[in-house]
Amino acid sequence: MPARRAARPSEPDLAAALRGLPDGTSGDVRIVRSSSTTIRFANGRIHQPHLERSTHVSFRVEDAHRLATATGSDATDVGLRSLGTTAQALARIAPVERKFPGFKSPTGRGPGRLAFSRATAQMSPEAATRIAEEVLASAQSDAPGGRVAGVVSVGTEELRVANSEGLDRTAARSVAHASVLVQRPDLDPPVSGWSEGAHWDASRLGPARLGREAAERMPRSTPVAVPPGAYPVVLRGPAVADLLRFLSHLGFAANGEVEGWSCLARRRGKKVAPPTVTLTDDPRSRDSIPMAIDYEGTWTAATPLIEKGVARGVVTDLLSAGRLGRPLTGHAQPPEAPWGDYGPIPSNLLLAKGDASEEELVRATGKGLLVTRFHYVRVVDPGRGVITGMTRDGTYVIENGEVAGPARNLRFTESVLDAIAGITLLGKERRAYSDGGGAVTAPSIATRSFRFTSATLF
Amino acid sequence: MEDLIRTALAVVDAPGVLHSDVRVVAPERFVSLAVRNGAASALTDSRAQALGVRVRTDRAWGFATTSDLRPTSVREVARLAIRLARAAGRNARERLRVTDDPAPTGGRYETPLRQDPFSTPFDSIVELLASAEKGLHVAREVRSGIASFQAWEENKWYGSSDGASYTSRIVHVGAGLTVTAVRGSNVQRRCSPASHGGDFSQAGFEFVKGLDLDARAPEIGREAVALLDAPACPTGPTTLVLGSGQLGLQVHESVGHAVELDRIYGSEAGFAGTSWVSPEKIGNLRYGSDVMNVVADATEPGGLGTFGWDDEGVPAQRTPIVHRGVLVGTLSSRESAAQLGLRHSGGTARASGGDRAPLVRMTNVNLEPGDRSLDELLEGVNEGVYLDSNRSWSIDDRRLNFQFGTEFGRRIVRGELGELLRNPIYSGMTPAFWGSMDAVGDRSTRHLWGLPNCGKGQPIQGARVSHGAPVARFRNVAVRGG
Repeated sequence: MPARRAARPSEPDLAAALRGLPDGTSGDVRIVRSSSTTIRFANGRIHQPHLERSTHVSFRVEDAHRLATATGSDATDVGLRSLGTTAQALARIAPVERKFPGFKSPTGRGPGRLAFSRATAQMSPEAATRIAEEVLASAQSDAPGGRVAGVVSVGTEELRVANSEGLDRTAARSVAHASVLVQRPDLDPPVSGWSEGAHWDASRLGPARLGREAAERMPRSTPVAVPPGAYPVVLRGPAVADLLRFLSHLGFAANGEVEGWSCLARRRGKKVAPPTVTLTDDPRSRDSIPMAIDYEGTWTAATPLIEKGVARGVVTDLLSAGRLGRPLTGHAQPPEAPWGDYGPIPSNLLLAKGDASEEELVRATGKGLLVTRFHYVRVVDPGRGVITGMTRDGTYVIENGEVAGPARNLRFTESVLDAIAGITLLGKERRAYSDGGGAVTAPSIATRSFRFTSATLF
Repeated sequence: MEDLIRTALAVVDAPGVLHSDVRVVAPERFVSLAVRNGAASALTDSRAQALGVRVRTDRAWGFATTSDLRPTSVREVARLAIRLARAAGRNARERLRVTDDPAPTGGRYETPLRQDPFSTPFDSIVELLASAEKGLHVAREVRSGIASFQAWEENKWYGSSDGASYTSRIVHVGAGLTVTAVRGSNVQRRCSPASHGGDFSQAGFEFVKGLDLDARAPEIGREAVALLDAPACPTGPTTLVLGSGQLGLQVHESVGHAVELDRIYGSEAGFAGTSWVSPEKIGNLRYGSDVMNVVADATEPGGLGTFGWDDEGVPAQRTPIVHRGVLVGTLSSRESAAQLGLRHSGGTARASGGDRAPLVRMTNVNLEPGDRSLDELLEGVNEGVYLDSNRSWSIDDRRLNFQFGTEFGRRIVRGELGELLRNPIYSGMTPAFWGSMDAVGDRSTRHLWGLPNCGKGQPIQGARVSHGAPVARFRNVAVRGG
């Protein structure tokens, strides 16, 4: 859907609300209108269908370099005035933020028409349910006796941002996501398989394929125990997506750079991965979940993070760009709390694909492990980029360049920097995986060494 | 609000709908004040509102929500909830069953407050935070200081098709400090009074004043800097004494989530995971040692999981979970309790707001105190480590294999706390770990910790829960320096 200036007659007058601020005070306003249907299923039936229509308004005020935000659900002119008053009162007591550069005037060209699916945005609850039924049916038919669980979510988010400098932009994205788990909890140890995907167009989710893939990935024989240690690994897309999320938070988020704890703080401009590795954050890409503006109304654009193995800069919003003295990249999150320790973070990661099939990744690995996905990944040591998590839902032993059989799950504790530095091959197929409102788009990878620190019982 | 509930209930009084309930949360207020490195960090005053309609047919649930509280919008989402339930039940083979629980009529629950945080001048709070944050910067290695305050106010109206109704006003409040010292890639963090934003309670501003952030700040600033030069935690199996804060999180991850009955029955399999507990083992599963006693207590004053009734209208309860090391109870909703064949729900179906359907959630899941003082716990350790204040946390999808990192450790030698240790990590398997607990601290070592960020469900819901935890001692635990 093209980004456009807001013109709906029923829309509140944001310009008037901003003009109503006292002299010497400026501000910006966001209105986020969301509509989504989420169909969860478990034990072979739909158990938690959820439909949501919401409006979220956020009014940020800057008063002599003092910033504060008020939020609410009332997007009428009266509601906006009330939020403006609340934010002003809060800004008056805020400590000074000298590096805030002020709100930007509406310069620069927009990205034009971005991928958007009206059918996805307006999908009926019955149609969303049918997608879930298709995933379920496919998984059940390909894994008799398997217990199936998962989710299908479709919807849209429309974002309008205006500020005191005359900026007033609106953009929208359509989002569809599905994931499916097939498990045999009756076996000892229990086994499971997984698949997932996201797209801006629900008709391209491929529900039957996802169900089939999860069923295929569920081990058909008893997993063997593998001792902890460092192994070469093939990581399937969902596992790669987790690695990239943490790499982006620890290495490319603005706060880590401002405060010196980024794991890439001293490595920008240096080689951190082989030349085949190129990681970009591109909110305009059709291969992601596109969005034309960020939460400050800045046009989004592709931001190189790793170019042919060389680490580049961090992503920024107005405040972090001011603090770092670096260009604005259009990665603002909503200015209100809670938005975590990281500050602006990449939202639409894309890892360039290679030319290897999964069989070729496995063959090249020789002896090691094939991992479908991770679970409960957390940061252990931000400065060195060390994270930990479990493997889950389809872990296999690779021997003699072939998948030899299923393995019991393992805990890894590894530096994301070492993992990407060791990449030897990239898969030729990549897929988008849901990540907040955006996505991580990644192929499978083979990496030289991955450290597993303990094993579990299944 | 009662009119809106009646409006919604009238719409869902439709063929095939066996039961419905409506919750309005308005306003749901959230104030977040933080000072980060001397500047304001995302000062926020939020007032949200939402109405949620849940219906049940004989085959399926349907839930729809809106933030628009005009009657036309309310009627629309009520109709959508029915459509969802009918679509979801189209191919369902089995009938839904729920427990029959006593329903409140006109009940009221309100947080007792000495000083309402929303009436406390915000400038005085910002002043307090700014002063405390300044105190964190004790050396040039301190690269980041954060002092934060948060308060939530949830005003709720509940009504159901069987005539149940109640209202509530629940206030949660808390504050904390975080300091990060950096030297090269050596990054050390200390938080106080706890990690994950501090400590939180169902209380008024008096709770925040009692935290005495000003006094804590220089101490943890110095500790963060000292950790840069501290030796790494030694590696190997050893005796571990866990501080109350870390033990609270251990209870959360390896007991609380594992005993959620919806997880046990696979409802969360596709996202958060399942449990190593199976239904037939409830009542006889050896969960830990004889000194392990856990309760889920939604009635404990000050707990973030304390309320009058849950989001299905079931009264708050105190439920034994582990008694002398044996699993005797679970956390349950009306549906999951019926699956287990219980007559009544455990009353722990909670929603994070009017815009979410209730799920089985923790309330205040507490490890009961034992009979040892801290000194007595340490006296029994010839060589070991004392760890506290969470830094990283991870556990598998069945809640068995866990690994926790803490911000600091201290060596224990012949019953005495010794040198500071950096990057400690301990790991284990849930039943073996709890089985290795040989002594539990007494009430003097116990604290009720508020944890404001427990995630579960799709769409994601953040629950605020509490954990009462003493200090405890564990033998032969795998510990290492990260």
